Amino acid sequence: MSSIQLLLANDKKPGIKNYTAYRANGGYQSVEKALGNMSPDEVTEDVKKSGLRGRGGAGFPTGMKWSFLAKPEGVPRYLVVNADESEPGTFKDRYLMEFIPHLLIEGMVVASYALGANVSYIYIRGEYAWIVDILEQAIVEAKQNGFLGKNILGKGYDLEIYVQRGAGAYICGEETALLESLEGRRGNPRIKPPFPAVKGLWGCPTVVNNVETIAAVVPIINMTGDEYAKIGVGRSTGTKLISACGNINKPGVYEIDMTCSVEEFIFSEEYCGGIPNGKRLKACIPGGSSVPILPANLLLKTAKGETRYMNYESLSDGGFETGSMMGSGGFIVLDEDQCVVRHTMTLARFYHHESCGQCSPCREGTGWMHKILKSIENGTGKMSDIELLWDIQRKIEGNTICPLGDAAAWPVAAAIRHFRDEFEWHVTHPAEAMAGNYPF
Amino acid sequence: MFEISRPTSAIENSTKVKTKIAYINDTPFTFIPGETILTFVRRNLGENLVPTLCDAPNLDPFGSCRICSVDVALVQNGNAKAMASCHTPVLENSFIYPTSGRIQKLRKNIIELVLTDHPLDCLTCEVNNNCELQTVAAQVGVRDVRYPEGKNHVDRKKDLSHPYMTSDMSKCINCFRCVRACDEVQGQFVLSMAGRGFDSHIVKGSNQSFFESDCVSCGACAQACPTSAISDVFESKSIVATEKTRTICTYCGVGCNLEVSTVQGEIKSIQAPFDAKVNSGHTCLKGRYAFKFYNHKERLRYPLIKKDGEFVEATWDEAYDFIASKLTEIKTNYGADAIGGISSARCTNEENYLMQKFIRTVIGTNNIDSCARVCHSPTALGMQRTFGTGAATNSVVDLKYTDAIMVIGANPTEGHPVTGAKMKQFAMKGKTSIVIDPRRTEMAKYATYHLQTKPGTNVAILNMMLYYIIQENAEDKSFIENRTEGYADFKQHVLSMDMNELEAITGVDKELVRKAALAYASAPNAMSFHGLGVTEHSQGTFTVMLIADLAMITGNIGRRGVGVNPLRGQNNVQGAADMGCQPHQGAGYFDVTNAEYHAKYESFYGVKLPNYVGLKIPQMYDAAIDGKFKALWLMGEDNVQTDPNTNHVKKALANLELLVVQELFMTETAKLADVILPAASFLEKSGTFTNGERRIQKVNAVVKPIAGTKTDGQIIIDIMNKMGANEPDYNPAILLEEISKIVPFFAGVKWDELGDNGKQWPVLADGSDTEILHTESFKLGKGQFKKATWKESSELTDNQKDYPFILTTNRELEHYNCGAQTRRTGNADILLTDTLMIHPTDAETYLINEGDMVCVESARGKIDVKARITDEVKQGILSSTFHYPEVNMNILTSSVTDTDALCPEYKVCAVRIRKSKGKYKVS
Ligand SMILES: Cc1cc2nc3c(=O)[nH]c(=O)nc-3n(C[C@H](O)[C@H](O)[C@H](O)COP(=O)(O)O)c2cc1C
Ligand code: SF4
Ligand code: SF4
Ligand code: SF4
Ligand code: SF4
Ligand code: FES
Repeated sequence: MSSIQLLLANDKKPGIKNYTAYRANGGYQSVEKALGNMSPDEVTEDVKKSGLRGRGGAGFPTGMKWSFLAKPEGVPRYLVVNADESEPGTFKDRYLMEFIPHLLIEGMVVASYALGANVSYIYIRGEYAWIVDILEQAIVEAKQNGFLGKNILGKGYDLEIYVQRGAGAYICGEETALLESLEGRRGNPRIKPPFPAVKGLWGCPTVVNNVETIAAVVPIINMTGDEYAKIGVGRSTGTKLISACGNINKPGVYEIDMTCSVEEFIFSEEYCGGIPNGKRLKACIPGGSSVPILPANLLLKTAKGETRYMNYESLSDGGFETGSMMGSGGFIVLDEDQCVVRHTMTLARFYHHESCGQCSPCREGTGWMHKILKSIENGTGKMSDIELLWDIQRKIEGNTICPLGDAAAWPVAAAIRHFRDEFEWHVTHPAEAMAGNYPF
Repeated sequence: MFEISRPTSAIENSTKVKTKIAYINDTPFTFIPGETILTFVRRNLGENLVPTLCDAPNLDPFGSCRICSVDVALVQNGNAKAMASCHTPVLENSFIYPTSGRIQKLRKNIIELVLTDHPLDCLTCEVNNNCELQTVAAQVGVRDVRYPEGKNHVDRKKDLSHPYMTSDMSKCINCFRCVRACDEVQGQFVLSMAGRGFDSHIVKGSNQSFFESDCVSCGACAQACPTSAISDVFESKSIVATEKTRTICTYCGVGCNLEVSTVQGEIKSIQAPFDAKVNSGHTCLKGRYAFKFYNHKERLRYPLIKKDGEFVEATWDEAYDFIASKLTEIKTNYGADAIGGISSARCTNEENYLMQKFIRTVIGTNNIDSCARVCHSPTALGMQRTFGTGAATNSVVDLKYTDAIMVIGANPTEGHPVTGAKMKQFAMKGKTSIVIDPRRTEMAKYATYHLQTKPGTNVAILNMMLYYIIQENAEDKSFIENRTEGYADFKQHVLSMDMNELEAITGVDKELVRKAALAYASAPNAMSFHGLGVTEHSQGTFTVMLIADLAMITGNIGRRGVGVNPLRGQNNVQGAADMGCQPHQGAGYFDVTNAEYHAKYESFYGVKLPNYVGLKIPQMYDAAIDGKFKALWLMGEDNVQTDPNTNHVKKALANLELLVVQELFMTETAKLADVILPAASFLEKSGTFTNGERRIQKVNAVVKPIAGTKTDGQIIIDIMNKMGANEPDYNPAILLEEISKIVPFFAGVKWDELGDNGKQWPVLADGSDTEILHTESFKLGKGQFKKATWKESSELTDNQKDYPFILTTNRELEHYNCGAQTRRTGNADILLTDTLMIHPTDAETYLINEGDMVCVESARGKIDVKARITDEVKQGILSSTFHYPEVNMNILTSSVTDTDALCPEYKVCAVRIRKSKGKYKVS
């Protein structure tokens, strides 16, 4: 294990799900500190200093997001925690909420205090039904112990937290679709501007943050932002949860301090423990299904030949031509037996299914990408289909209301960019493609 | 809901801000902060440079089609990003390239993608050559589609269930315009997008047909839809018209502008113009779809003279000769005052002016009244007494600027649908709204406060509101001090009342009244709207005065977003009174008994005129029954069906020596006439209507009068000339010129200068008009506080013992008053008959089930009507409409009238009920 464990330090402690054990292990000290000695603006300032970047995928600096929140007189403000976590390959938030629910609640109290919110919501993926009970239990306990509800710790600050379940749509993880859904409407993303910081939930200023982002506020306040910023490297400060899966020996959720290399992460016993059955590493999607896939050579070393590290800057080194993204921390490993065409088709099917259908490029484009990929996969594709595929993804990217369009386009673009030979092979070898006899 | 401004509002707000620059194709232009790239580009380089599909002039930007994308760079020829121009605000100093090669390719590709799921059968499509998708596809140059045939939705079934609305979802391109139109414009929430992604599809209600859904057939969705996916049976948006004529709807006082399409002299469809100030692209189903009555086979097409109880076809000359000689005979035998005329608020200003001119100057009597008597006469009187002017003080657009509205005795979503839709939008945004009504109307359901009064207790409830405002010190003291008179006395009177007593009378919790009163008083700007639920009462005029008092006590007069705003029932109620169709005031509201004004009228018309007040409608009936009133001229009114106490009216009409009726159809009243003159409808004539906000708008003849008929104006002119006058043929321009000389607030009205959106009176000599009245002072100088004490209607004190239920009357969206027109359109397939609303508990007591026939009996008579069980009415209260002659609701209503304006009390009628045995069906 890496020496620095800020979020998962206590996850294996018995009874940590419950208030008593959580408190005994230092829980809720950040609430005491923030409400006791700090003004809301000082909390925000500390989060700014910490360099914490949003853990939901886009990596936007959290302190900055908080300071953008509009504060008109007499209008309520909201914190909404995004626990929709539906990106294929990403399951870190589930782990946090299931095993250390109080960490999220604690972070929410501090964050809500900083933002001046008196009502906050957790919008949770519909399939995480059992976790709803866990969170609600934690909320009850926090209330019973004076960390939630009216007049928290006698400091005159009130906060209620509600948990709302989604109904099984990936798009509802997009922050504005999430807000629509939370308001009881169809989860269609909104056009921006206005941004949620100005007009969010019920038309009021709102901050939407990822579960892990909010959880990280707890150690930041406990250790101070300056200390937190010393962990990690460059603009990748603090620790990051990575959910690792695919062809590895030890799938699971790991907390890393962002100084470890990709190679170490895949092959060390501390983390993924290498690839089963001594197979070769073929490719990897390092940040959840939406980010570009990288072939092994570009994964372990950047195009410049430098070691690639598990942090925001290093993973995106080389841009989309030769790099990828940290994304939501869903680390998917493919061994030599995997077919990239098939894999890309599976993702395309997912995005086709999950597009909300508002934007014509995304609604129709994701459908056609899926259809064309299926046809190539099945050995009925033409060479011109590869160009058409490229063309479609280019027309979707950047031309939609929300980033789901981009998320659907990037995997296809990267697959063609790095594995064009496999696509062409499918076209030229229809029978073998159909039978799944891949030469690579 | 978004902060992005439409061009108009952006321009309105732009005057103070300093100019900012952005570049289009490297040329600098100033933009208006908040303006979208689309409006910026269109304003400077024309409408057609940037194509759009999901954008529509009357909807909020949505950003779903992405066809409007343009390249935006931060430096000249810099790294450009495609942005949807319809919802992206212009960024200062940005470089916009609306038609870069990359963008053109993008647009083409998007359309190509859209077309992969669209039937390629344009040639047989309803909207061929009139389709936005087709136009944009041609504009971006899509010729063929590169995609193989795939799964699509082209086999979706058509929905032809509805008399008006149709859909063919195989043509849908998922632009959401229909959904947004239904939500943002009508507020009906019928349409929504179901399914996700490729499976997205429009559904009505809970996946119903148009007919089964809650659709109110306003047509907003059909007009908004860029393809033929949603349309209507008239194919309104795609009809290839030989001519399009702009005119004004005749079905209510909102006064919506209509654009009527004709093909070779036949009316084919009606659309709503987006640039109309009154309705900006919206209408209700009456305005848009209920026009088929105009060439209905039952239209009267030749004059009829009754001989031996039978109508016989006659020529116009025969009819005129017959009438002229009969009128002369009656005048000689009984004097001019044995003759009278009832004008029509459905007709134009010019026709109303002529009608009173005919009765006054040719016949020589002030026995001229109009149907305003039975609707808004108390408004005119009550507002004249308090403010000096009997007209709405503000405009409907003020709904945009107000903070609170009070709707009293009005059901705008049915009676004034386009204004009603705006009010609903207002209330749905959570803004303060107070509804005072015995029924839980649609507005009441959305309102912050619903004061559900017992019918006939408006004076009591308003006094309660005034009491609490005074008691809580919530008056606007400086307004009272500077702008009004009579407050001290008024205040004392109000404070002397016992709230517990009034609480018992109204049946409304006094605490709720207090809250509502304070909400109205504390809003920075509050507007009140009232309808016939205020006026059609024995205390109608008093109620109007109290509404005016409420506005004055809170200082809600004389600026944007405030005022007292009567919702006029008929399209030209305002105009009929303005033009002098009242027995006590001539054109322009001058008192006929005042020597100075009398002299003025005599010299203007060059004839001797009576200087005493003539008969009001109810007085005409009584005089006829007494044998003193012998001849009545009716222009376009069905008094038998629409006036209260039908049997009384019939008896009066039967006692006349001459009844002349100008009509479109053989109405219940026409059946009793001696002569029927077939008139032309509003679609066949020109003139002006004045809507509820004093807006004088041009009515333009869409088609010629159908064969055999004449315009009402021409008929009056013909008979005037037959009886010795010398009027030129009917011509609104000439008549307006005459009117502008006698009606001061029409001083600057000229036919040629009215434009599409008309002018709000007073129109000064220089042609400038007036949006808001009483900004500096009242017509009376200071506003006059008028007190009123609640009194039970004699209808109840006399009859309640034997008739324990209170019946009140209402309107339904689909029909207009007697229904002579709307019952002859598709509207009749939507609403088939009058029904009686009855509370579930009462229904249970009387063993009445939904749809049963109920016998309703008042002191005047009995009728049978179908029961509709609903908690929209309280226990002990019933409500019904009088749209259908088969039901004849007005057999029941009473002759009680407003004490001051003689407006009948349609809204309170003591009745008893039982399950019908089916005996009293009117044949
Ligand atoms: C299609 C789509 C799905 C998303 N799903 C999630 C999600 O499940 N959880 C999440 O935290 N953010 C998700 N996001 C990102 C959110 O929109 C938003 O950026 C994030 O919640 C912000 O939180 P952060 O600043 O703490 O990262 C998604 C974005 C898109 C476009
Ligand atoms: S990009 Fe796709 S998911 Fe996002 S709003 Fe548009 S259609 Fe919906
Ligand atoms: S006709 Fe009007 S009410 Fe009916 S669905 Fe269309 S917009 Fe909605
Ligand atoms: S029915 Fe028409 S307006 Fe509605 S989404 Fe489809 S194409 Fe657009
Ligand atoms: S709201 Fe009134 S004026 Fe407008 S279309 Fe309907 S009936 Fe006509
Ligand atoms: S018109 Fe702008 S996205 Fe449709």
